[in-house]
Amino acid sequence: MKICVLIKQVPSSDALIKLNNDSTWIKEDTVVFAINESDSFALEEALQIKEQTGEGEVVVVSLGPDRVQRAIREALAKGADRGIRIKESFPYSSDPFEIASLFAAAIKDDKFDLILSGLQSDDLGSGQTGVILGELLGMSTATLVVETKLSGESIRVKRELESGWFQWVTMPLPASITIQSGINSPRYASLKGIMSAKKKEIRLIEKKELSGSIPSLQSIEHVYFPQKTKRTEMIEGSVDQVVEKLTEIIQRNY
Amino acid sequence: MNFSIIEQIILTVLILSTFSIFFYEIWRRLRIINKGRGKLPFDYFSKRMLRVFKEVILQKRVIQGRFWPGLMHGLVFWGFIVFSIVTLDHFATGFERSLFSKSARHLYTFIATPFAWLVIIGIVALAYRRFISRPESLGKLSLSSGLVAIFIFILMATYLYGETTLPYLRQAGTLASKINWWLHSLVILAFLSLIPKSKHLHLVFAPFNIFFRPFDTPEHIPTKIDLEASEEEMDQLLQNLTRLSKNQAFDIFSCVECGRCTEVCPAHRGGGILDPKNHFILDLRDPLLNSKDVSVLGQINVEAGWECTSCQACTYACPVGNQVEKSDEIRALQVLVEGKVPQEYQKLFMNLQESGNTEGAFHSSLAEKLPEYTPDKDYLLWLGCFARFEIDPSFTKAVTDFTKILDKAGVTYGVEKDEWCCGDPANKLGDRMTYQFLIDHNLEFLSKTKKITTLCPHCMVNLDKEYRKFSDISYVVEHHTQVIATLIKENRIQVKPNHAGPVTFHDPCYLSRIIGEVDVPRELIKATTKNFFELEEHGSNTLCCGAGGGLWWKKEGTGRTHLIRAQQIVDSGCETVVTACNFCFGMFNQGLGPLTPEDQKPIEIKDIAEFVQERLT
Repeated sequence: MKICVLIKQVPSSDALIKLNNDSTWIKEDTVVFAINESDSFALEEALQIKEQTGEGEVVVVSLGPDRVQRAIREALAKGADRGIRIKESFPYSSDPFEIASLFAAAIKDDKFDLILSGLQSDDLGSGQTGVILGELLGMSTATLVVETKLSGESIRVKRELESGWFQWVTMPLPASITIQSGINSPRYASLKGIMSAKKKEIRLIEKKELSGSIPSLQSIEHVYFPQKTKRTEMIEGSVDQVVEKLTEIIQRNY
Repeated sequence: MNFSIIEQIILTVLILSTFSIFFYEIWRRLRIINKGRGKLPFDYFSKRMLRVFKEVILQKRVIQGRFWPGLMHGLVFWGFIVFSIVTLDHFATGFERSLFSKSARHLYTFIATPFAWLVIIGIVALAYRRFISRPESLGKLSLSSGLVAIFIFILMATYLYGETTLPYLRQAGTLASKINWWLHSLVILAFLSLIPKSKHLHLVFAPFNIFFRPFDTPEHIPTKIDLEASEEEMDQLLQNLTRLSKNQAFDIFSCVECGRCTEVCPAHRGGGILDPKNHFILDLRDPLLNSKDVSVLGQINVEAGWECTSCQACTYACPVGNQVEKSDEIRALQVLVEGKVPQEYQKLFMNLQESGNTEGAFHSSLAEKLPEYTPDKDYLLWLGCFARFEIDPSFTKAVTDFTKILDKAGVTYGVEKDEWCCGDPANKLGDRMTYQFLIDHNLEFLSKTKKITTLCPHCMVNLDKEYRKFSDISYVVEHHTQVIATLIKENRIQVKPNHAGPVTFHDPCYLSRIIGEVDVPRELIKATTKNFFELEEHGSNTLCCGAGGGLWWKKEGTGRTHLIRAQQIVDSGCETVVTACNFCFGMFNQGLGPLTPEDQKPIEIKDIAEFVQERLT
């Protein structure tokens, strides 16, 4: 079983975000970067599948600047066998189609049986990369997976639907599935893991080597914090007067 | 009494075989202990002997911990000492010899006889406690305890019978007195062979264990991690993580199973599964004996290990000199070998690795407001992550009040902008690698420092006691309470008691038990209020707030470990609780409010620096 795990490095969930000077991205030197939360569950799922089947390979694939090397190293320390990083520098790709196409170009020769990724990234949150990549490589796809069961040439997954409903889907391999957070308990890199990660290969690919025919369909113009305003208006009078005033305010604003 | 040659041969065979069993069993254990890491210490010999005198001969801890049972134990123990000579003489009798002259022996019965009665009182009382009133901490009914109680009773009864019927050697004995003599002898020999295979081995081991007990609590062997090390060196290091030290192995065989450690354990009292007596000590005894080696730390219940607050109450309660707590060693195995770490702690470790602090922060507005440290200043004011990143914003006043006191006294100080976490949570949660990473960073600027003061006892323990295990350090660390007390003593600041409702003090575990400072905070509070009273559990018998051992970062659990001390404070009737540790402060700030009944005035929580600053003249 050859498993590919897509990981993205994102600002840690409780990082205090500040914007860069021209408000096109965040200030990177004042936040802790970490592996995207749901990606770390995807990695753990991949490692557990490999441990259960007792053979195969887990390859972590990421796109990003040099800092991403640490995230890949961490995944290798946890037990992934090798890494692939597509190097890019600022401004970063933010278009899921472009990113998926880059990944597809980078990994198509590896012929993975399974691609696992987090359900969405904690920074941009498009939630599409894993699915588009699956389509581009002609794989079955499923999103929001909370349980996996591998049997022979197919995989059975439990998907989370709305309002407490779940759906079991069986699909043929190869497949690309996106993993919901909380599906397992991600491990910590042991000392032995950290030591052995040093010897593991991380293949570096220049983005421009791949991006020849890949269009970027979207880019970030401007980032800003949600505007928070607070207005308080006291309404006084009888119930009828209050209701009338309230209706008026609601109509005026919406 | 006459003994035939047959009798003497039987006696000789019995004595020799009993002693062989006795010494074989002890030798077997010593051989395992000898495989432990480190060395058994013989330094400060006279200080150690004094400790043995106090804790063994005077039974200080035995009696302090549990007065009546302790005293009863004392009676039996002192009786044993008195009877050691009687016993030697008793066996000499069997060979128709005597250790004493007739008159000396006669005189000695005036000492031994009353002691025989005292031992009987003691052993009957202890047997009553163990088999009839049965406190929970003693655990399951123990057959060997029952046997020992019967043995001791018979020994005393046969002694008294023998003395009344046949006080002197070479008197013609009756059959009854002969049977009495043999009964006494057989019971002594049976007792001797029972000792090494039961908890009664403490008779032999406890005095030595008390002698060897390290002066620092806890004294865990540091794990120095070099990521450039070879594979063999790393394997050796990981292997060592499972090994007990010689002292710890000695502890396991010295345990008397009294359960005091479990009784005082905050995790146990809060309804957790942790049971220090079994988890940290007794669960390791059979693995040690069966494997004939000390690689047994992996046998400890891991879940129990994660519950420990590292407060050291267990070690302080132990009457036989054990350093009971081993939580960070259990956790180190989980973190470094297994990679099994609760998610909230993984997040914490990541923050420490990426930002050098527990919060993953890159900016401290408090540190920015304070003067920067330069070598000409009196003190480096070590903030610690809790204060530095305002984990509980109410604690910031404690820091600024401390600086006001320093300003008033004309003491100069500054904060180090490169200060990283001292590493306490990483170390206590078992991530020795991150700990090493933080130490290496901090030592770089600390080596140029002479004096450090901090409000955090956890930081102090690390900077002072733990860092010393990694590097030669030349600076001194003073807790802020100690600095303030010195300033008052030197008359550089004056305080005036002002009116306050009942005030009490909560001793932080790390300050009272690990640093050993219990007097200074009290002097300070007493100098500033007339309305001070002690909590029932205070000084080195304090009860943990629940945050130690990295548990501040634990997600909500089901136990009440974090609430039992807060509840005691609410019930104490104080209006103000003063403490001297940021974690205790934070725990009470969260915990006291919801526990306080509506009709009770809300309790004020103050760091000692605030309490003193508000009373400066």
